[in-house]
Amino acid sequence: MESKEIKEIKAIIELMEKHDLSVFEIEKDGFRLKLQKGPAAAPAPVASPAVIIPSKALTGSSETTSAVPTPIESTPLKEIVSPMVGTFYRAGSPDGDPFVDVGKSVTEDTVVCIIEAMKVMNEIKAETSGVIAEVVAENGKPVQFGQALFRVR
Amino acid sequence: MFEKILIANRGEIALRVIRACKELGIRTLAIYSEADVDSLHVQLADESICIGAAPSSESYLKIDRIMSAAEIGDVDAIHPGYGFLAENPHFAEVCESCNIKFIGPSSRAMQAMGDKNAARVFARKAGVPVTPGSDGIVETESDAIRIAKKIGYPVMIKASAGGGGRGLRTAHNEPSLKSAFHSARHEAEKAFGNEQVYIEKLIVNPHHIEFQIVADSHGHMVHLGERDCSIQRRNQKVIEECPSPLMTSGLRKKMGNAAVKLAKSVGYENVGTIEFLVDQDRHFYFIEMNTRIQVEHTITEEVYGCDLVKEQIRIAAGEPLSPHIAHATPRLHAIECRINAEDPEKDFQPSPGRIDFYYAPGGRGVRIDSHVYTGYTVPSHYDSLIAKIITVGATRMNAIERMRRALGEYYITGIKTTVPFHAAIMRNGEFRDGNYDTSFIERVMSSGKLDLKSPSIRLRE
Repeated sequence: MESKEIKEIKAIIELMEKHDLSVFEIEKDGFRLKLQKGPAAAPAPVASPAVIIPSKALTGSSETTSAVPTPIESTPLKEIVSPMVGTFYRAGSPDGDPFVDVGKSVTEDTVVCIIEAMKVMNEIKAETSGVIAEVVAENGKPVQFGQALFRVR
Repeated sequence: MFEKILIANRGEIALRVIRACKELGIRTLAIYSEADVDSLHVQLADESICIGAAPSSESYLKIDRIMSAAEIGDVDAIHPGYGFLAENPHFAEVCESCNIKFIGPSSRAMQAMGDKNAARVFARKAGVPVTPGSDGIVETESDAIRIAKKIGYPVMIKASAGGGGRGLRTAHNEPSLKSAFHSARHEAEKAFGNEQVYIEKLIVNPHHIEFQIVADSHGHMVHLGERDCSIQRRNQKVIEECPSPLMTSGLRKKMGNAAVKLAKSVGYENVGTIEFLVDQDRHFYFIEMNTRIQVEHTITEEVYGCDLVKEQIRIAAGEPLSPHIAHATPRLHAIECRINAEDPEKDFQPSPGRIDFYYAPGGRGVRIDSHVYTGYTVPSHYDSLIAKIITVGATRMNAIERMRRALGEYYITGIKTTVPFHAAIMRNGEFRDGNYDTSFIERVMSSGKLDLKSPSIRLRE
């Protein structure tokens, strides 16, 4: 990588620290960069976040291959699954803000979504702690028992 | 006619209902537990929704989740099958209040007949003979002793909220009555959440003969003859046949009319079965009514030439009784063997697990109602019924010989099944003579004379 790009990545990392972000992802003109913070909440030195840069521009090859095959995850993702049959809603009201988004920290009691069953709005708790890595279920769509709603790191 | 039906059941009956729906052009929604994700009915349904963990209490009995699935699936009707919520008046009521048609009788009629003791009262009122017994619930041990003395031993203590052969105890004298009374109440409390019991005279070695009722919502009701279900093991039916070898046309008329009279007296609609005990002198006594489709509906279908599940759906949709059912007459003879995942050589110990290889018999006059297939894993959480094999013949002996032939081809490996047990019964002299009652299986098993070796065929797997 060029020193300019390394400077940009350092700046991004510092911004992530400043705003307590765990994930930063950017894709532009064939260049894709994803930075993920490790589980430790301790002040991380610049070198610690794992950096993967699978991108055409950098490797110069016509195939997308990982330049640095660094494993991203040391811990597998946990799933928050639906305990009932109903319709999944990300927010408490149609124009409200979602309870959680990717990057949000949750504890066991954090309400992560609503599942509406038979006209009753049920608040669903995370029942686990970590950081939301992925919103799996689709807003306003039916979910069945055991269906994955979120993935949590 | 309905556009979409939710099947609130599993296994072979769920498949049976889906088949009827498909033939009627109705879309199907299957609900299932996590243990049934690979079930055949789930795969064949147009849509499916997982409603809970394996235990029935976490899934197939969860009314709220089933109704939620019904709402999401936008269904017009629910078919409850048999067992689970099929005879739960509260479930029928919930469907009614959600404007989803429950395919069966009204919750009111179900309630009237579901209480076994209250059903006896209805029977008496309708002039239908009942087994001599208590006038209602027996509350105390001293009442039990007094009533048993009056009826005369031996007696049977039965759970009022019971069914399916459970919550029953017999007593042949006063000392055994006391313990039977208490243990029946205890079992009833645990199994049905209701410890109330009543007492009936125990009819020694009766025949269990039941009558099929079909009624539409326009007041038209008929009976489709009888089924003989005397071949039972521990009060569970194992083999059924239609018509009964014991029946005469005179007795059929009397019993059929009594069945219709009783069902009419509670305003019954859709299909149901009236169960009687018949003693050695051909006296018949009402014991209970089943307000649902039954496992053995198949043999009535074969003999009377009808599709009872389709008729259930038509009736629920408001149609009048189909002419072929209103004017049905019996032709041919049919026998059903219930194939369970049990080991007959080890006292019928349950044998769940993966079916490594499954080949079902075919040919003329052989019907298989089964949800299993090669590679299917029989779960341990539910009943052990894996298949029903039904044979039809011009005569009773034809049906028996056909069953014997078909069982010899029925090849299931990986689990133990009762196929060899049924094959042995088909060879048994008393059964072949039509000379059996509810004590038959007990006697034949304890005589140790049943040859339970598996069929000799081997198929390349």
